[in-house]
Amino acid sequence: MTKTLPQKYPFLPTWCPGCGNFGIMNAIKMAIAKSGHPKEKFVIVYDIGCSGNMSDFLDLYGFHGLHGRALPPAAGIKLANHDLKVIVVIGDGGCYGEGATHFINLMRGNHDITVLVHDNHRYSLTTGQMSPTTDQGTATKSTPEGSIEVPMKPLALAVSNHATFIAREFSGAIPQLSARIGEAINHEGFALIDILQICSVYNPTQDLRWYREHTIGLDENHNPSDKAAAWTQAMREDKLPVGLFYKEERPAYHSLVSELKDSTLVNHNKNVVEISGLLEEYR
Amino acid sequence: MRIPNTLNWKVGGPAGEGIMTTGLIFSKALSRSGLKVFDYTEYPSLITGGHNTYQVYASEHFATSQYQELDVLIALDKATLDLHLDEITENTLVIFDKEDDKINIEEHGLNARTFNLPMVKLAQESGGSKLMANNVALGATMFVFGLDLQILFGVIESVFGRKGAEVVTKNQNAAQFGYNFMQEHLGQSLMTFVKVEGKNYLTMTGNEAISLGAIAGGLQLYTAYPMTPSSSILHVLAEKAKQADIVVKHAEDEIGVINMALGASFAGVRSMVGSSGGGFCYMSEALGLSGIAEIPLVVIESMRPGPALGMPTWTAQGDLQFIITASQDEFPRFVLSPSDSQEAFELTRLAMDLSEKYQTLVIVVSDKLLSESRFTMELDNTQFNNERHGIDKDPQLAEVGFYPRYQDTDNGISQRTIPGQPNGYYMSNSYTHDDYGFATEDGEIRVEQVDKRAKKFELMKSEILPQYFENNNGEMTLISFGSTKGAVVAARELLENNHNIKVNVLNLSWIWPFPEKQVMEVLDMNVPFAVIEGNSTGQLAKIIRMETGVKVENQLLKYDGRPFYPHEIVKFVRNTLKK
Repeated sequence: MTKTLPQKYPFLPTWCPGCGNFGIMNAIKMAIAKSGHPKEKFVIVYDIGCSGNMSDFLDLYGFHGLHGRALPPAAGIKLANHDLKVIVVIGDGGCYGEGATHFINLMRGNHDITVLVHDNHRYSLTTGQMSPTTDQGTATKSTPEGSIEVPMKPLALAVSNHATFIAREFSGAIPQLSARIGEAINHEGFALIDILQICSVYNPTQDLRWYREHTIGLDENHNPSDKAAAWTQAMREDKLPVGLFYKEERPAYHSLVSELKDSTLVNHNKNVVEISGLLEEYR
Repeated sequence: MRIPNTLNWKVGGPAGEGIMTTGLIFSKALSRSGLKVFDYTEYPSLITGGHNTYQVYASEHFATSQYQELDVLIALDKATLDLHLDEITENTLVIFDKEDDKINIEEHGLNARTFNLPMVKLAQESGGSKLMANNVALGATMFVFGLDLQILFGVIESVFGRKGAEVVTKNQNAAQFGYNFMQEHLGQSLMTFVKVEGKNYLTMTGNEAISLGAIAGGLQLYTAYPMTPSSSILHVLAEKAKQADIVVKHAEDEIGVINMALGASFAGVRSMVGSSGGGFCYMSEALGLSGIAEIPLVVIESMRPGPALGMPTWTAQGDLQFIITASQDEFPRFVLSPSDSQEAFELTRLAMDLSEKYQTLVIVVSDKLLSESRFTMELDNTQFNNERHGIDKDPQLAEVGFYPRYQDTDNGISQRTIPGQPNGYYMSNSYTHDDYGFATEDGEIRVEQVDKRAKKFELMKSEILPQYFENNNGEMTLISFGSTKGAVVAARELLENNHNIKVNVLNLSWIWPFPEKQVMEVLDMNVPFAVIEGNSTGQLAKIIRMETGVKVENQLLKYDGRPFYPHEIVKFVRNTLKK
């Protein structure tokens, strides 16, 4: 290269002061360090947006995909090499809006990926438009008279649509979030953590005080294997519960692909391919 | 207007009456008789109902196209007698079942020889069911063409073998009854085809050839979403996945399809996706991702008439211009356009290699005619060696702590690492990035990376294969691409045999990088030339002008969803030359 940018690698975060992404990134780093898996076994797939800009701030294998499309490459990476730990960093817009088809379908397949949704209820990098989780009636740049849509309940969607690890955490509670990410990484299947996050610039109303008032820890009697209870909590209107809503052991997608029983796909040697056995029906 | 020692046969009837299987069995019988075949099917986009046809053209020497004038038409319903009047001549033998289909043949006013074959009755008399009536027609067909009935029996055994010996015997008996009935009433075969010994042909549709070519080229993952006429690639590969040791994923939509494949390719797996024009449109954003992140990917685009949903089960060549440029901005890509199953196999296999070698996108263009027609092909060997390209076996981190994945090189191709390798960390980035994949908005780095990728294109030009060219000292040169070659070559033969007009033929199965040198040489021959293609604006002609500066004056364009017929090209050439 003829030119090097005058800064160290990885880059220093460019997020706004007070952004929830700082906390989430630190929680991810801690979870990976504690996981015991070698660093090269991790791949993080980033969506676009403020959260996706984390791609420049971590020293891991990374794939910075297209807007709303971080989940399919993550599933593809896992199919290619199921020895890898695949984490998706994505926002509420990308996961629940633009890429909702992928979200809905890959969770049904129980693809073994950890999906961390940075949920600040706004499109922030595009300067503050409504997102799928914006409260009804909220005035934003794209909805100056207040949003008409009723917000999505992503955790209820995940409960009803067979995700096998469903949690919500708050970006400011780093140790708890980090521990939850660690559990999600170790969970063999589709793990969703909806991470409530402050955007002090484009969503100043939902600040730390707001989250203190509106979130509540799941009751210690909440049983994460009780799907009906998870549904009830996910559908609550009064508060935003945080904690592990639901967890179920079900074979991950790759473990049910018969061709992957013996080794990872990337290790299927194709240096010499003999096709005579495939030709008989064409005679 | 036909070539001697050839046969042109069609079976038509309502969907759901086994038209496709019947045609396939006859085609295989011909192939096993040592003849080359070309099979062409027509069907509407319906699950049941509608009119289906299966046409087989066969010849000892070459079979590359469907022809209009039929030797034999098997009509399994009344509609077949009315829908193919322009294919029936006084030399055509029309076979129908008066009793079962309640046909009064006089009503149809056919200027042809007609033959009432009581297919259903004979099937039942032979000890089989009504459903075996088509085998009666097949047995009768074997007699008409003087073919060996035992060869048909062999095909029936291959096709129905897994249903048990009794089913095989009953189908064979029905065929025997048809053969005997025809022998008794027709007396003499219309033609006689003696088995050509020593030939061991394969017959495949373009989609089957694409599938096997990909497998031969080291395919590991195929992802797709069904869309006619590409869907049978998904079906073939899914069915063969276990035997071929590959993974096939029917993903949620075409956007998921291509992004999943790109993720897998990033992780070191040879990946391919397939669709038709509509699905390909969905994919176009991610084509750019393949380009900027330099991720190998093979995309199959099987064209049908459009825009939008167009005509799903018909053919067209109208996506060509879009395919060579689809995506944001610019990056190097290969666009290959095989003309038949042989090339579909070879070029898809090559595509798997090229995509990895150049770390970029390779689009293989097909169309309904190629994808779903059956061609004769031969493979000299069945074992294929695949070299891996560009993966650093022992990566070292640069001083900054990352792997210089996108470092500029003499030819623009950089080494890459795959996740899981220690010391290979980099960012595979859809944003403009530096050597390590880190996003940048720096103008100088941006230019350097654009130029690095562009440099690959210069080397890619060295991969261009010689294109199909017949220099017949012709009065005119006919230029086409992809599947249109078949009809052009057939027309060349008709022109010479029947009209004493010689033409040269240039068919491009390699569109991008454009084979400029060879095309220029042909255009410089000082012979009038014409471009023949399946769209309404002359897209190949425009590309030729763009790349050579030569304006194409003569064009034959067809865009009714039907493939070119050789006689249409003959007429065009005669009109153009005023002969």
